[in-house]
Amino acid sequence: MAVEEIPQISPIIRHRTSHLGRAVPRREDRSALLGQSQYVADIRLPGMVEVAFVRSGEPHALIRSIDTSPAEQIEGVVKVVTAHDLDGVEQFPHFIEYNQPVDQFPLARDRVRYVGSPYAAVVAMDRYVAEDAVNLVAAATDFEPLPTVTTIDQALAEDAPLLYEGWPDNRLTTALIENPAVDRAFEEADHTFSETYTSQRQTGLPIETRGVVAALREGQLTVWTSNQSPHIARTTIALVLGVPEPEVRVIAPAMGGGFGPKCHVYPEEIVVPWLAMTLNRPVRWVEDRAEHLVSSVHARDQRHDVEIAYDDDGTIRGIRVHSIGNVGSGEIFMPGTAPTFVTGGSISGAYELPNIEIQTTCVVTNKTPSGAYRGFGIPEAALVRERIIDRVALLTGVDRVELRRRLVLREDQLPFRMPAGGIVDSGSHARSFERGLEMAEPLLTDARERYADDPDVRVGIGYANYVEPTAPTYHLTTGFWAGYDSATLRVDGDGKARVSLGLAAIGQGAETTAASVVAEALSLQPSDVTVVMGDTERSPYGLGAWGSRGAIVMSGSILMAADRLLEKARRIAAHMLEAGDEDIVQDVVLRDGFFFVEEDPDQRVGWPEVATAAWARTVDLPEGMEPGLESSGYYDPSDLEHTADEAGRLNAAATWANGTHIAIVSVRLSTGEIKIEDYVVVHDCGRMLHPGLVEGQVHGGVAQGIAGSLYEHLQYDSDTARPQFASFLEYLVPTCAEIPKLTLDHFESYAPHMPLGVKGAGEGGTIGGPAAITGAVSDALAEFGVFVTATPITPVTIRAALRPTGSGEAS
Amino acid sequence: MERQDHDSPSAQVDIEVTINGERFRNRVPARLLLSDFIRDVAGLTGTHVGCEHGVCGACTVIVDGDAARSCSLLAVQVDGCTIRTVEDLATDGGLCPMQQAFHENLALQCGFCTPGFLMTLESVDPQDFADADDLFALLSGHLCRCTGYQNIIKAVASVWNEAIEPHGGRFQS
Repeated sequence: MAVEEIPQISPIIRHRTSHLGRAVPRREDRSALLGQSQYVADIRLPGMVEVAFVRSGEPHALIRSIDTSPAEQIEGVVKVVTAHDLDGVEQFPHFIEYNQPVDQFPLARDRVRYVGSPYAAVVAMDRYVAEDAVNLVAAATDFEPLPTVTTIDQALAEDAPLLYEGWPDNRLTTALIENPAVDRAFEEADHTFSETYTSQRQTGLPIETRGVVAALREGQLTVWTSNQSPHIARTTIALVLGVPEPEVRVIAPAMGGGFGPKCHVYPEEIVVPWLAMTLNRPVRWVEDRAEHLVSSVHARDQRHDVEIAYDDDGTIRGIRVHSIGNVGSGEIFMPGTAPTFVTGGSISGAYELPNIEIQTTCVVTNKTPSGAYRGFGIPEAALVRERIIDRVALLTGVDRVELRRRLVLREDQLPFRMPAGGIVDSGSHARSFERGLEMAEPLLTDARERYADDPDVRVGIGYANYVEPTAPTYHLTTGFWAGYDSATLRVDGDGKARVSLGLAAIGQGAETTAASVVAEALSLQPSDVTVVMGDTERSPYGLGAWGSRGAIVMSGSILMAADRLLEKARRIAAHMLEAGDEDIVQDVVLRDGFFFVEEDPDQRVGWPEVATAAWARTVDLPEGMEPGLESSGYYDPSDLEHTADEAGRLNAAATWANGTHIAIVSVRLSTGEIKIEDYVVVHDCGRMLHPGLVEGQVHGGVAQGIAGSLYEHLQYDSDTARPQFASFLEYLVPTCAEIPKLTLDHFESYAPHMPLGVKGAGEGGTIGGPAAITGAVSDALAEFGVFVTATPITPVTIRAALRPTGSGEAS
Repeated sequence: MERQDHDSPSAQVDIEVTINGERFRNRVPARLLLSDFIRDVAGLTGTHVGCEHGVCGACTVIVDGDAARSCSLLAVQVDGCTIRTVEDLATDGGLCPMQQAFHENLALQCGFCTPGFLMTLESVDPQDFADADDLFALLSGHLCRCTGYQNIIKAVASVWNEAIEPHGGRFQS
């Protein structure tokens, strides 16, 4: 099969068993409900010892000396190591040429650059003793504090302390895509306006923290790790440890949520395996929550300096955006620069906004390194865009909805090339917006009625229309990997199938979906399909679960493998049906698991006979045919681009989902309390393989969007770069009492160039929240001149904005 | 309980605990958390640890009939107690009604927080809850990062409405 062809269900399958689009029960549930799923922390091996890491309490300091001897004297301590003990270990690779080199070593060598930076590790007989020893190592470390950098302004100041010697400043990367049309727009427009929008530091926060278990088993280094990309983890571990890749096996067992932070390869994923090799015994480390909050990547810490050129009639002539990401110390593999670039590329969203100039800067500071979090820069872009539209509406007196109607993409404009290069191939942008408005109208009326008699409450509504780039390139993010994924498919002698996937399961129901796609592709039942994921020894190389790519790349690779397998199965079946005559092979069809010729359906062979011939009774095979019934597919989305053109544009995603979010909020003036009264989502991810799972993705994503709008904030003291959070008492994750019942509807605009017409659905839910909620709160408080420009919006920021002396800007 | 020198981190204490009907007699470190006792000593890893500071609710078990956070108790505090964990919910290998409702309503994704929700729900009588707000208050002691709580509320409402008033339903999901 040629790669240009879109993998689809083979035409030889005449009767679709239709497992797709139906509520197939989740196969993942039973073990999880019974408490039998095995997560990393549940792994116990004979002779296993525990690791705890010593982390810097200093935001920026030179390490003068570390005295490990007091810790080594504790009974039960097996070993204490610092960076200088890690023989044979390399730095993490530097793959992204346009970034300054960070030279990250798995343990900080001579300098720490954030609170939480690991600089030593203790191995002990149990975790309690290991933590005792950690305290002794920390107490016996002599730091020489250095001046700190916390904020973007501090990082960019002329006399800023530098985090890295040898760099000219604290810019990890910077890029400007100039656009002469934008300069013209600014000259010709009636007016210009400047404003700054800010998104606060948050984190993906899986309820299962990270964890690593490593052991040498029969000469092979086996690493169990809660990582969304086990194959990428394996390649990186082999590279950094200097071990041949075939001697490393990475297993991502049951995962308690990913959300982005587990896409990265962390120091612990190097040090724990090194300890297992050095000690020649199994070693385990399980991150605790306090560690997680400072050691797993943060995200969304961005500022956007925006200039808008507009006319009196509300026409937005041009936009200049300087997006500045505060990426913390930068000491993380892969680097945390990509989300800020994605923000720039996503500014126009679901609108026709052609003249945009994007400047991107990432600065290093003495905060935890930032990186991936579901949405990956796109929620921030939505916030900027929808604030711009609301601002222009306010400045010109044009209705906010009317202005969006003028701009939102119509079907007759598709395919639409976005200013940053994305090609929106299909979608229901205008239709979704209109449907959302229709759904929101009675809810808004009800909300206003509920509070009609309460003079202390104001009600408001806010809007966001987005596109979600799905199955994106990984090349800009990693500087190395790109965009494909894989499936190996086998039908065994009993006629049951086994598919192994390069993807990892992170809790979203991917195994259930994979079984349905295989069943559909081979005319079997989902219960006939065994799914293997997350083990580099048992599944083909693939890039993992991120970027809303699972449904697309998994379907594509399964269908390619199925096509190859069916071609052979059909030849075997033809041979068996016609006792050696292969001429009928083109007439053989497959229905309900049986191969036959349409004219003679009574004479048929099933998968068990065909597969038995392939594996065991090979005397039944056509003469000269190679035994076996197994094939692989490596699906690489064809329209996906990995490098930008001269104008800096690229189509960075295989396809583009879309959606509309509308938030209805109430704000209590006396307390500043904000309540989300209703939240409307119209979602279009192309064909839905499993509507219940898609809805689940939307639900969870929206909750994270609400969380980032109103609650979650990783605050640092700006004078000292010290984190002001250590637990869930400071980092406020919303509970069921904060998340309202959501009102959902779907469209299905099939992706024209994707397998089965699917688009990704993993991140869309997160995108609209900050944009829609800031819009709604601004609307509620419009009479007081409040215009929200920053998240999170809290009772404190509301009350400040409402004070008579307040500037009117809630930020 | 045999008293010993508890000032030392290595102080050991003899305890006797019944977990899911099985009796455990162990000498444990005085500082051992109940969650670690359940997971490491009793080998019951269905009880998950999400924060170790009593907020996320993933480690919830039932101690003498009441829901309790096993990460915020010491094993020595439950000497003589009877404990139930998620492994005790199923009957004859079949899912209990609440587990079944979670399955049917897609009320779990990654499943890490699920045992905690199930144990809190198992510890209460739905008759004591007046409406959905009461239910929210009960479950607001549990964090779920995958579901946005939508289908969890739906699953619980389906079981509780059926239990209390088969043809009505005070728990709107």
